[in-house]
Amino acid sequence: MFSMTAKIAWASLVRRRVRSLMVVIMIAISLWGLLFIEGIYDGMTEQMIDTAIRVDCGHISIFAQGYRLDPDLYKQIADSAVIDEVLQHDQRVRSYTKRLQQTGLVSTAHAARGASIYGVNLQDEERQCSLSGYLYPRANSDRIQREYDFGVKLCGALIGYKLADKLQVKIGSKLIFSAQNLQGELQSMVLKVSGVLKSNNMLFDDKVIFVSAATARKFLGLEGQVSHVAILLNDETQTLAVQQELSREFPQLEILRWDQLYPALLQSRQMMKVSNMVISTLIFCAVSLGIIGVMLVSVLERLREFGIMQAVGTTFGQIRNIVVVESLLLGGSGFILGAVIGGLTLVYFRAYGLDLSVFSTAFEQFGMDAVTYAVIRPSFFINAAIAVLMSTLVSVLLPLRVLKSSQPVEIISKL
Amino acid sequence: MTAEFLEIKQITKVFQPAKEVKVLALQSVNLSISRGDFAVISGPSGSGKTTLLNIIGGLDRATSGTVTLDGQLLSAMSEAELCLTRREHIGFVFQAYNLIPVLSAKENIEYVMRLQGSSNQQCAERTQQLAQKLSIDTLLNKLPNQLSGGQQQRVAVARAVAATPKLLLADEPTANLDSKSAADLLDMLQRLNEDEGVTIIFSSHDPVVIAKAKHSIVLKDGEVVADEYLG
Amino acid sequence: MIFQLAVRNILAHKKRSIVTLILIASSTAMLVFASAWMEGSHALMLKNAVEIYPGYIQICDKDFPAATSYDHLIFDASAIEKILNNQPNIASYAMRFESFVLFSGDEKSVGAMLTGVQPAREVYLSRLAASLQRGSYLTTDDTNQIYIGAELAKRLKVEVDDELAFVGSGADYSFTADKVIIKGIFKTGLFDFDASSAFINKKYFDHIMAAQNLATQFVVLPKNPQLAQQVAEILNAELSIKVAEQYQAQSWQQRMSGLVQAMELDSMFGYITLGVIFIVIFFVVMIYTLLAVYGRVREIGVMRAIGTTPSQIMAMLMLENGLLASLSVFAGGIVGGILAVYFEYNPIVISGMEEQFKQYGLAVSSMPTIFMPAMIVRDMTVMFVLTLLSTLYPVLKVNRIPPIEAIHHV
Repeated sequence: MFSMTAKIAWASLVRRRVRSLMVVIMIAISLWGLLFIEGIYDGMTEQMIDTAIRVDCGHISIFAQGYRLDPDLYKQIADSAVIDEVLQHDQRVRSYTKRLQQTGLVSTAHAARGASIYGVNLQDEERQCSLSGYLYPRANSDRIQREYDFGVKLCGALIGYKLADKLQVKIGSKLIFSAQNLQGELQSMVLKVSGVLKSNNMLFDDKVIFVSAATARKFLGLEGQVSHVAILLNDETQTLAVQQELSREFPQLEILRWDQLYPALLQSRQMMKVSNMVISTLIFCAVSLGIIGVMLVSVLERLREFGIMQAVGTTFGQIRNIVVVESLLLGGSGFILGAVIGGLTLVYFRAYGLDLSVFSTAFEQFGMDAVTYAVIRPSFFINAAIAVLMSTLVSVLLPLRVLKSSQPVEIISKL
Repeated sequence: MTAEFLEIKQITKVFQPAKEVKVLALQSVNLSISRGDFAVISGPSGSGKTTLLNIIGGLDRATSGTVTLDGQLLSAMSEAELCLTRREHIGFVFQAYNLIPVLSAKENIEYVMRLQGSSNQQCAERTQQLAQKLSIDTLLNKLPNQLSGGQQQRVAVARAVAATPKLLLADEPTANLDSKSAADLLDMLQRLNEDEGVTIIFSSHDPVVIAKAKHSIVLKDGEVVADEYLG
Repeated sequence: MIFQLAVRNILAHKKRSIVTLILIASSTAMLVFASAWMEGSHALMLKNAVEIYPGYIQICDKDFPAATSYDHLIFDASAIEKILNNQPNIASYAMRFESFVLFSGDEKSVGAMLTGVQPAREVYLSRLAASLQRGSYLTTDDTNQIYIGAELAKRLKVEVDDELAFVGSGADYSFTADKVIIKGIFKTGLFDFDASSAFINKKYFDHIMAAQNLATQFVVLPKNPQLAQQVAEILNAELSIKVAEQYQAQSWQQRMSGLVQAMELDSMFGYITLGVIFIVIFFVVMIYTLLAVYGRVREIGVMRAIGTTPSQIMAMLMLENGLLASLSVFAGGIVGGILAVYFEYNPIVISGMEEQFKQYGLAVSSMPTIFMPAMIVRDMTVMFVLTLLSTLYPVLKVNRIPPIEAIHHV
């Protein structure tokens, strides 16, 4: 009997080809639009979060107690070797990097700017975030060799491109960095720009100078201490668990997740989810309205037909099933079409990105990439399928009520 | 020999509802209708009555053959010209769904006159005249859904003749009416034919109705099997 | 008569008319409100960004914005002052000299900007004085007193009346150092600005930094801030004739193009999202029109049969749709307009978004709408055209059915 129901339902849709097609197209286009918006907005947010996590704070950051709110050379992680021991044996840790940090003034003959030095090990940074990939302009492999290096004398520096712009320096230029050391004395050191970085992380591009850890140590008068350990995990979902374990292991240190360090980033993600939900709701309310109209008319114009069917023995339940299957076929066809074109669109924009470089000034201002790569999540399609299913089922309630109250079998007896 | 008012020559109509299916609705139909005639086209269901009326009225085109109305070759006219001809020279009464639901009886009657650009006064006078003739003068302000089947058909007839067409075509106008209403309607059509000189062709399969006509044409399987003037 | 038919049909098919009315009216209201909100909050963000410190018009050396070094100073400030004094379309102006120094407190050292300002004039040109949190603002007689951002004070661990030392470069590239006392602490809400700015009386600054008759920029407030671009152009002309082509006046739109573009980008995304919603509504209206029109296909067939031309049918149906669209769009415009006015004076506060905005250097705690009749009319027109377009296809389609088929439509 189901195949008969399905056949009749399908035939009714085909008989009214134009309006059936319109409903299917409406559902498909709304799905395509929704997938596009979700994929791009999500991509934008995730790119921003990803850059911050990879280049800056990792999934988890370790500081000495009180360092984050008041960065002081006295507040350093004293014994990083113990941390090394723990992290190296934890399978969940993909990589980690240790940094020495201090803020001061960087100047050239003609200009001066507030900046921070990050004393790092280049190999560690490379493993953590492929830092050499951010060399700017995109360097060829020969140049990468030369530029991603602090030089034999370790007085090289990798400088953010915005800072380089403001100081009007290029590769080979000399910089003077002045700051207080551990003893409170004002020190200066000469650095030579060996490479320029563009990470699209606002903080880094505008304020950070990477120097060798050894140089920073000597300059700041530190020995084995480090200011910051940034940890990248293999699986982001493990972040809370790892944080809790490390906090138990090192109660004297401050162990923070990325969203605790940059609540704005988490907020971005949450706001994105909320706004996507609002948009979905609006869209599917409209879709439901479209389906209701079509199904209602479809039922009303076939009352005589249903009456005849009942007269020859079809139950009301079977007629109701025909109407429901019709609605589901409309929704299903629309969903499949929309999912295919939406999915293809997302695949394209995931591979090639959406190029908004016409707004490049804006993107640079806010440290974002002008090319946004879309994100594809199964949840987009699952949520959409649920929404379409609900739309089609809700839409069919009113027509069914009309069907029930019209009593089709009585209608044919009237003529 | 004077040309007839309506000349139908070798009209053939073939329908093709599906790819391999051909239906011969009319086959080499020849007819002549004089001015002022009151003719009925009869025959069993599927004999081609409605098809023939539609072709005469320019609503449909024959597969082959010609239709000449008052010297004008309908079969050679464009769609726009046919539309104009229907407005100016032909009145239609259908079996059902004749009236525009949102217009009152009066407004329905005036409709074609207004399409022609008649003034308010002309419309009002003509409407009143016809309404009295067709005994619907008390119903002029009512909407179609407030009228009975018979009343609706009378309004439809009034509308069809309001713009003084040369030819009135009615497709089974009494089919949905009870016998009294049917008889009344026929009487009114006769009176219009006699008083206004409107040439009327209608289709029916009701013998009582057929008997009232002056000229009877019988169709069977798309062919004319009888064409005679009745006493 | 066609008009009469159109009106009657709208009234006769109440359900369809009401659904269409509600759909289009709410879409219009949504568009009007969303536009008002986006434009309003952007305008406020920009206004804050401009008025807190940068100012509506800045005059500086052509190369200064790209390379903020002492090579690109205004070397004859008095010449510029002479021009500005004779400008009728300027409300006020002030000069500034920005330099980077290293501040040292008892415990900490921090690199930040130290700017010599004219305290009395500065009051009209920025919100520095209005952002006072503790202590007091500068006066024209102050010497080694500074006015420092709250976040910078926190970093240096200093309070009002505390002493700070600084080292930096004088305008003649000589090494400069001095001790200063904190007279006041300000908080603008712009985190970065409050964390890296300090101000001092230019008279004293000139003395220690060898900056007499020198400035890094002039900040100008036009009498009508809306005309900043035009006034900047006038100033440019004057500057190139009377002083040197090397100096230029730039309006905030030119100088803060990144921020302006960011607002445009945000608006664009907003409109894209709205666009997707409206495409769906476009289809829904098309579907309802199709259903309505096909429901009357026999009636339309009869009308065609009795002599109504296709273009008259088209006119009647489009008039119906047009009337319905006009009514809906008008209602939606009124509702959206009322919301725009209400939320202009009672802005929406989304407390969760403050952190986000702080990150972008925007001091925003509330997001007002802006009531702009021209924009509302624009939105209403867009919705009207869209609605009309969506009804076009069904009308064309039904008109193409030959009358004979239409009459026998099942």
